[in-house]
Amino acid sequence: MTHMDIGAGVPFIDTRDLGKRYGGLHAVRDVSLSIYAGEVMAIVGDNGAGKSTFIKMLAGDHAPTSGEIIVDGRKVEFKHPRDAKAAGIATIYQDLALCENLNVTDNIFLGNELTKNPLLRLLQSRKMHDEARALLDELGIGIPSTRELVVNMSGGQRQATTLARVAKAGARLLILDEPSAALGVRETRALLDLILRFRGQGKAILIISHEMRDVFEITDRIAVFKRGALIAVRRTKETTPDEIVSLIIKGNS
Amino acid sequence: MNQPVTQTPALTGLVRLLRTREGVVVLLLVTLLLLIGIFSAASPYFFDVRNGMNIGRAVSIIGIASAFTTLLMIAGGLDLSIGAVMNAAGVVAAMVLAQTNFGVPGAIAAAVLVGAAVGWINGVFIAKIGINPLIMTIAMQFILKGVTLGFSASASKVIVDPAFLAIGQGYLHLGVAAVPMPLLWMLLSMLALWFVLRFTQFGKWIYAVGGQPSACRRAGIDVDRVIIRLYTLSAVGAALAGVVLAGIQGAGIPYGAGNELSVIAAVILGGVSLSGGVGLMEGTLVAVLLVGVLKNGMTLLGISSVFQMVAEGLVLVVALTLDRLKGRL
Ligand SMILES: Nc1ncnc2c1ncn2[C@@H]1O[C@H](COP(=O)(O)OP(=O)(O)OP(=O)(O)O)[C@@H](O)[C@H]1O
Ligand SMILES: [Mg+2]
Repeated sequence: MTHMDIGAGVPFIDTRDLGKRYGGLHAVRDVSLSIYAGEVMAIVGDNGAGKSTFIKMLAGDHAPTSGEIIVDGRKVEFKHPRDAKAAGIATIYQDLALCENLNVTDNIFLGNELTKNPLLRLLQSRKMHDEARALLDELGIGIPSTRELVVNMSGGQRQATTLARVAKAGARLLILDEPSAALGVRETRALLDLILRFRGQGKAILIISHEMRDVFEITDRIAVFKRGALIAVRRTKETTPDEIVSLIIKGNS
Repeated sequence: MNQPVTQTPALTGLVRLLRTREGVVVLLLVTLLLLIGIFSAASPYFFDVRNGMNIGRAVSIIGIASAFTTLLMIAGGLDLSIGAVMNAAGVVAAMVLAQTNFGVPGAIAAAVLVGAAVGWINGVFIAKIGINPLIMTIAMQFILKGVTLGFSASASKVIVDPAFLAIGQGYLHLGVAAVPMPLLWMLLSMLALWFVLRFTQFGKWIYAVGGQPSACRRAGIDVDRVIIRLYTLSAVGAALAGVVLAGIQGAGIPYGAGNELSVIAAVILGGVSLSGGVGLMEGTLVAVLLVGVLKNGMTLLGISSVFQMVAEGLVLVVALTLDRLKGRL
């Protein structure tokens, strides 16, 4: 697979001078960034650089205070996470967005339950469990039982459940905020493989990470944030961890 | 986990069962059977179909309201306006019967409508404006009490319509048992809402909202709407309980003592957590029966009603303490 041609064609999503102020604090300022289908892009930066704030605007969680978001060449306004979801953007947050009191299947289908009888909306539990099982197997996710409650699961299994949920939603852009922060070595490995698999399916992936090794292993491009601004975008193949770290800390290389 | 060496496999199995939601119900059921055994041995009048039906009627009002508010509390809500809604509904039903010719259906519809309106207002202020449920529903309790007293000129409204009285005083004859209608209404409410909780998408969302509202929002569920519906449902349940109560009393009484705390206590005893996300209708049913059996048995044994109140409180504390402790086993 070549990723040299990235930069050509219409990007899946564009931001133009996107900004966010929290009162007097300028958390994100004038960020213009394009993300293409089939690429994995990392966002790196110091604590408080505005990474999470930036992706929350793409996810419809926070409204921008300036600039615009363009999806498939058309300007969009996300008033609610639902709107971003409808546009094909799925987000996995730092704090995992799962219902711990529910089981794996319930979480994968949350909000999109299979039902029969339009009036009573009776749950098709068996069918959902079967589909969840098939999905987990297809993604190579090792979760023994779809009836296991999330509260009893490991960090990696939770991540996997969230990813299965996203895969199910058929998202075109997948956003992950520090996905490996709570994971062990094996779990991180499985997560990275899953991300690469999603890329193979032509999805765009935006990942916030502090783990330089992971970033250099799976990404095609790296965007560096500093004090709310996008200060550099590098092709992963054409840069080094040292350069990126230097950009993060000093702002130049 | 550190397992004590003395723990046998059977005991581990028991502990595991008690950790599940079904386990709480099983434990309550065992307690209920124990109580029945004790009272049967202690009093010759206890173990008797008629006495059983008396218990059923005694718990029915709390039972009906508990069934509806169980859904709300699983979603993490709380409704302290239940008692005030009951009184208001009874008075409204009685006044519609006395002053209009809409008859029994009209009286029930009016009572339910009042409940629905009150619950909807509670829900909107809590979900949309973000007022704390405790504060909002206490405020609503005051408002509604005042309005009910004013509207009725603080006088009980006597009901003479036999069809309406039958709602509270009638019986369904099943072999040797004459099942009081209120008990029937309670069981029907619980059955219907048990079905909703267990088999429908709305039921699933109730648990989901109680577990992690932000996850639901991100999943595209209209959480506010779910919450508003549940407050509405809780108050409609209270209104229905109020109708049955008016039928039993033969009057709509505007100044009846609010029993919302008994309702909430029963729901919690049944295994619903105040923080939401867990609970079963089966638990509420058994808890309501347990409180009823306890009171009835103590009455038959000549224990004063003053101590019965103490006992009701103690049962709740013991249940919640056990619930806490089992997490440490
Ligand atoms: N809801 C909010 N209200 C006010 N200020 C906020 C809010 N969210 C973030 N901020 C501020 O905006 C700035 C950027 O925060 P953000 O969470 O986007 O950083 P980050 O790059 O994700 O950092 P980290 O690596 O620690 O996750 C910080 O100064 C933060 O305190
Ligand atoms: Mg962050």
